[in-house]
Parts: sequence; structure tokens; C-alpha cells
Amino acid sequence: MQKGWYPLALSHAIAAGTSAGTVLHGQEIVVWRDSSGGAHTWEDRCPHRGMKMSFGFVRGDHIACLYHGWEYDQGGQCRYIPAHPKLEVPKTICVKTYPAAEAAGMIWVWMPVGMPVEGGPAEQEATGVRSLYLDRALDEVEPHLSAGFGASEAAREDGVIRLVTDLGPLRIGLQPVSADRCALHITLAGTAEPGTLVAVAARAEAFRRRVESATLLAAE
Amino acid sequence: MTMPQLYNYDLDENCYRVRLVAACIGLPLDLHGVDAFPGREHQSAPMLALNPLGRLPILRDGDLVLTQPEAILLHLAERHDPQRRFVTDDPVRRARMMEWLIFAARDLSMAVAARTTSMLGEPGDTDALRAGARRCLRIMDDHMTRQSLAGSDFFVGPEATLADLALFPAFALSRDFNVDHDEFPALRLWARRLRSLPGFITMPGLPDYH
Ligand code: FES
Repeated sequence: MQKGWYPLALSHAIAAGTSAGTVLHGQEIVVWRDSSGGAHTWEDRCPHRGMKMSFGFVRGDHIACLYHGWEYDQGGQCRYIPAHPKLEVPKTICVKTYPAAEAAGMIWVWMPVGMPVEGGPAEQEATGVRSLYLDRALDEVEPHLSAGFGASEAAREDGVIRLVTDLGPLRIGLQPVSADRCALHITLAGTAEPGTLVAVAARAEAFRRRVESATLLAAE
Repeated sequence: MTMPQLYNYDLDENCYRVRLVAACIGLPLDLHGVDAFPGREHQSAPMLALNPLGRLPILRDGDLVLTQPEAILLHLAERHDPQRRFVTDDPVRRARMMEWLIFAARDLSMAVAARTTSMLGEPGDTDALRAGARRCLRIMDDHMTRQSLAGSDFFVGPEATLADLALFPAFALSRDFNVDHDEFPALRLWARRLRSLPGFITMPGLPDYH
């Protein structure tokens, strides 16, 4: 995997005090937001018995595992084990955390694991439209983005494609999920009217129909 | 008016739909437990006399016996909620609500079947059912995406209707048939709003949080 910041979700899709699972290059990641609004990206695996952390729930500044309720603080350190409420939890019990950032209406993770972080994802005022999950590899999808969204100009940046369209300037975060899936996190630069947002969402749905239908793709 | 009686099995999501609507309108139900699994009591002679289809739920309200879940929901919301919180008389809204109620009844039956084949070992092509259920959830997520962008928090409009309550279990329980919530961000936000409705209840297997 190339080192860099990868978008995992639209900011507005992860409300304070909630969590969601996602996958990047086959690695399962939990994206969660504590009650004060901070975003976190961790390995989606409880160190106790391996339950997905994304099935758990956020309690204030902790995320709790659904299975036996072990609670972890924002640094990934286990702080509370309900079966042993008096126990001083050993420092060695922690979830693997990955560097997270929030910029341009998206939540990002720095990858690959262990690589020192360089800079942050580019800032930009943006309105989140929708995330689009596709049963296709990102490599297969990317060449069709420009035509699919009716763009007159396209430019690729780190983790993002920028499209100039009649509906406005789109900035789409590119998430390679696995060998046959990807996600597009679609934003409009600046602010936009609800009608425009709905029109972009409808175009996104049409794009998904096109890109997932083998015959339509081959015809392009 | 005597309390409506629900022939109920706790793990059946259609029974849960009925309990959920009753809870949200503040209506106590007289629950009559049916040992559907492993006892198959819903297919016993006395139950077949009430519902020859051999399915749950069954609602008995005075002389009225209802066996179709969406008909039961509509009946409870119209007859037993003086405020009529979850139904509407506006013809266009009502048409939209019926559209989603019928989607819940017909199309989401794939999600119900995917869950019973995965969890309870009922016969069925689990992979095909799961794919069909996922397609339905995508349609729901697309719809709620557009609703939220246009400023509506629920399936039919700014307020929750029976449609939302009828659609909720298939999404909330989808992990039981191995479809995760990852790909449905608009439904995740919507489910969270539903969970905060006064009276909202869960069922066994649905964690009580959010
Ligand atoms: S698996 Fe997470 S607390 Fe036991």
C-alpha cells in the first residue's frame, strides 16, 4: 500500500458518540467519534476476544466492546473491565490505534501501519454529499469517474479526485476497500443548495448502476 | 376497550415490529407467548385455526383477528393512538407511507428469510437471500440519503411514520445474516434518530444503545 492519508468516511456520517466499521485494502478499521467530537481510527478488533469494536458503543470518551463491555480510552488503552470493576487494568491491554485526521469534510487515516506521519490531508471548505460503495476495485472505477459525473475537467490529488461539473466543483475521496470493492466519499467544494446536493446524489446512484453493470462498462 | 392480544415470539422480527409500534404509541399489549422455536407451536392446530398460514404475529382485538404484520401496524396506529402520531391523512404522504410499508412487507421478506435461514436453520438459499436483502438496504440507504440532503429526517417526511418503524428491524438485524452496517451511512444516522423516539424498545439480539 502506498503511504499516505486515506479517506474513510464523510465527517457528517459519523455523529458524536457513534462508531462505524470500514475496510481499507482489506484491513478492518473502526471509525468512531467521542462525545466531544474527536475522530479516531483504530484496528477494528477488541484485544480481549477479537470482537469488532465497530459493533460496540461509545460512552463519553470511551468506546466499549459489545461482547464483554471492556472500555477503551481515546488512546486505545483499556480502562475498565466490567467483570473485574476494581482491577487496575494492565497497560499492555490496548487496541491498535492509527493516526486519524479530519479535513475537507472527511475523516482520514494514515497508512500503512507504523509509517511515520508526514503532514496532513489537504484542507478545503466542503459539503458532504454521500458515500458511494461500489462492488468494483478502485482501479476499475477511477477511469470512469470523470465521464460518469459529467466533468469537464479532472485532477488527481492525494487520496482525492477533483472534478469540475455543471453541478459545481466535486471533490471525491477515494477509498480502496479490497480487491473488488471501493468507496467514494463525495463532497461539493464550498456550500450548496439542497437541490444541488440531491442532484449530485442522484448522479452518484446512476454512476454506481453504470459501473457495476459489466456490459455498460465494456461499452464505454 | 380490552387490551389487544398479541400471539408473540420474542425473536421473530415481525412480532417485534408490532411490539415496537405498540410501545411507541404507548399501548400495552396482552402478550401470549408462542413457542415457535424449537416447539413450532405456531403451526399447531389451535394456532392454525387462528392463522391458517401458520405464521406469527397474530393480533386479536375484540372480534378482529389480524395476521398480516403491516395490517396490524396500521390498525394499532389508527385505532389505538388518539394522536395518530405515526399515520397521516395527507393523501400524498399516505401513498408514500404505503409504498414503504409494502416494501417492508414484500421486498424485505428477503431479509426476514435471510435471517431465519442463517440463524434458525430454516431452509433457503442463504447467499441469494443475503444478496437480495443487501440490495433492499441499498435502496433504503439511497432514499434516506436523498431525504436527509433535502432536510427530511425520516422515510416519508420530517416526522417518523409507520414506514420507519416497519423498516427498522431489517436494517437493525442485518448483522444476523452477515450484512454489516458499514455501507449504509444514511441508515445508521436514521436508526439512531429512531432509537431516540419516546417509547422506543429493542428486541433480544438488538443491543440497547445509541
Ligand atoms: S471481546 Fe471485547 S470485551 Fe471481550
